[in-house]
Amino acid sequence: MREDHVLRCVLMLCCALLSASASNWLYLAKLSSVGSIRDEETCERLRGLIQRQVQICKRSVEVMDAVRRGAQLAIDECQFQFRNRRWNCSTLETMPVFGKVVTQGTREAAFVYAISAASVAFAVTRACSSGELEKCGCDHNVHGVSPEGFQWSGCSDNIAYGVAFSQSFVDVRERGKGQASSRALMNLHNNEAGRKAILSHMRVECKCHGVSGSCEVKTCWKAMPPFRKVGNIIKEKFDGATEVEQHKVGSTKVLVPRNSQFKPHTDEDLVYLEPSPDFCDFDPRTPGMLGTVGRQCNRTSKAIDGCELMCCGRGFQTQEVEVVDRCSCKFHWCCYVKCKQCRKMVEIHTCR
Amino acid sequence: MAGAIIENMSTKKLVIVGVTLLLFQALAFMVGGLIAPGPTSAIEYLATKCVDGIKHRQESKWLMPWGPQQCEKLQNFEEAMAKRIEANNIVFAVHIPMPGNEMSPWFQFILVILQLDIMFKMNNQIEEGAVVTIDVSLAYRDDLFSEWTEMAHSFEHRNLNCNFTAAKTIENEGRQYDCDALPFMEVGSVAHKYYLINIRLPVNERKKINIGIGEIRDIRLVGIHQNGGFTKVWFAMKTFLTPSILIIMIWYWRRITLMTRPPVLLEKVIFALGISMTFINIPVEWFSVGFNWTWMLLFGDIRQGIFYSMLLSFWIIFCGEHLMDQSERNRFSVYWKQVGPIVFGSFCLFIFDMCERGVQLTNPFYSIWASDIGTELAMSFIIVAGICACLYFLFLCFMVFQVFRNISGKRTSLPAMSKARRLHYEGLIFRFKFLMLVSLLILDVLVLMICFVCVGDGGATSGEDIQLTTTITHADGPTEIYKMTGKEAQE
Repeated sequence: MREDHVLRCVLMLCCALLSASASNWLYLAKLSSVGSIRDEETCERLRGLIQRQVQICKRSVEVMDAVRRGAQLAIDECQFQFRNRRWNCSTLETMPVFGKVVTQGTREAAFVYAISAASVAFAVTRACSSGELEKCGCDHNVHGVSPEGFQWSGCSDNIAYGVAFSQSFVDVRERGKGQASSRALMNLHNNEAGRKAILSHMRVECKCHGVSGSCEVKTCWKAMPPFRKVGNIIKEKFDGATEVEQHKVGSTKVLVPRNSQFKPHTDEDLVYLEPSPDFCDFDPRTPGMLGTVGRQCNRTSKAIDGCELMCCGRGFQTQEVEVVDRCSCKFHWCCYVKCKQCRKMVEIHTCR
Repeated sequence: MAGAIIENMSTKKLVIVGVTLLLFQALAFMVGGLIAPGPTSAIEYLATKCVDGIKHRQESKWLMPWGPQQCEKLQNFEEAMAKRIEANNIVFAVHIPMPGNEMSPWFQFILVILQLDIMFKMNNQIEEGAVVTIDVSLAYRDDLFSEWTEMAHSFEHRNLNCNFTAAKTIENEGRQYDCDALPFMEVGSVAHKYYLINIRLPVNERKKINIGIGEIRDIRLVGIHQNGGFTKVWFAMKTFLTPSILIIMIWYWRRITLMTRPPVLLEKVIFALGISMTFINIPVEWFSVGFNWTWMLLFGDIRQGIFYSMLLSFWIIFCGEHLMDQSERNRFSVYWKQVGPIVFGSFCLFIFDMCERGVQLTNPFYSIWASDIGTELAMSFIIVAGICACLYFLFLCFMVFQVFRNISGKRTSLPAMSKARRLHYEGLIFRFKFLMLVSLLILDVLVLMICFVCVGDGGATSGEDIQLTTTITHADGPTEIYKMTGKEAQE
């Protein structure tokens, strides 16, 4: 029995080492078949988690649904932000979700790590405020002095719990591997930068409720930014990411910009270790590297979504297609759309 | 100078009184900073989207967001679209408080604010002057297993005030509008442990109800209540202060009646101020812990209003009685010009408060700010009150100026007086100036603190502490100085 356990541990360790630095837990988003994650046994069956993540899963099963929603959120947001780029964040049905594209320490990997750490913090915080989780901010009292907690001094912000959970769950992969590898340092930095994108953009909202609604008494709280905004912020950081290399300062290793002329990066900036490939061609040896053949492009644009750049100079073909579109629609605030069908001819350009 | 109450006090006593008061204030500051938590806390609730199936309606019309009897939930509206669920069958459910906690009467009130997260869609934008109609009901229960009891149910209209900061292009679809928070609910007593809010946004195309309000993604509520710890400390301070003020007041009045002459106006005003201070200090709020008195908030407002108008009148009369222009005042009617604006302004605020908190006694979801006419009415009341305040302030400044001018006039005639008389006058002037400066300083600090509390984001602990201490001390501090000095002066 015990040998079995040891063997399993070793196997797990091997698996963990083999899968290297891929953010495999994002695979949770693909596990729609599992249904709701309710009991500890489900944790064992979840693919993509390393042993210590399984332990976290068992310890806080109730949070796992939120984590899964977070993973889905991260993938959706990544695909939205990269919809016009050569690598459009396309996912595979196998593990790792983004193929091998994010296993190298590229800009894209930096983005994926940042957005996924942020999305877990976001989703867990949301679950907190909708009352799904019992272990949130209200569990701990704000000042840590009174036994009565909630009734004495109210709750602390849910975001604190969300961020802490993201730190323990997402960062655990990198923490385990010893601090030797520069890749782990990069991942940790980008994870933290993703969470900072939420934390430093919290909106402070206030309400005055003194006598006759005067500002004699005023209560303020912090509200999370919408996730689209978080995505935009991280995308901006992606555009201005810093290439770094590892240096030894004393006994600790730190990441410093490769070009010493550049301003050192801050906690909120993304960093990467190696330049990205051009993502132009399909590469069977690198899963996830799909190339841009068949991608739609914009003929008039000079940016990365323009046909020139998107198709990597291979040229494009133009088709005229009839599109059935919805027009003069009537909407309700939810779930009801009544439209007419309009047909129109559209030119579509696709890369060769 | 018929009164001559403050001026006759010896310097030593004045200093002792001043130091004692400062110590009391410091003590209040310490209590506020070290023992009491922040005065209020805000909890953000994300409404759970429940499906109100027809089959469930018979069992219970209350939909719970979590727990054993939780409703059939939707994660997002794409899911609803796929399941062909209509807007009229979606209920936003919020349970106050969060799981694992209970509300308590010590919270004094619950104030809830509504925030709509509306997503920008090119062909489903928010129309100009859009109004949301919400069908909202509130229920309570005192243990986790009993049935919910309805507390209030209402149809409410709220004006959507949203703007979209980015360009309205197809590229920016999926971003959110910036919407102003809407007033939602105010309950003046927290007598129950659990509250449940069910919100519906019914759609009626024919009557144009909830049409053109954009694509709502989420409803967030922010619940604000007074912290239990704060309430306890606050009650304790009130309970401690009331008897002491009461004793001082009785003693003061006894001394005045013992004198051979009838009490002068200033003494009467000080006494009246003492009464209004006792009135505001009497800890009747203790009853709110035992009884479900929703009018406590309104009552508190009224008490504060009476106290403030008394305080403002006191300042005017205090200055007026020190004009030293030999004319006999000593009658309240002389001051009608100055006191008039105070009374009128407070009356305006009272009417406004009755319209807001008074109506909330019957319908907790009512808000005067929700309708256009209501907003105009409320604004006009507040503006009139503001004009009165400005008038008052001008009068006060003018009077202070007059007092100082007369004092310097007296000073020029001083050398002509006999030595004893001159010393007497010099001491008198010095002390009046001192008191005047102190009261002006306190007034400034009061104004500054209110501003600080308003401007500072309040999230910082220091801000909260100051807020607490101002709440406790700002009203009582200066008046206490006046009262005490007035009393001491009799000796």
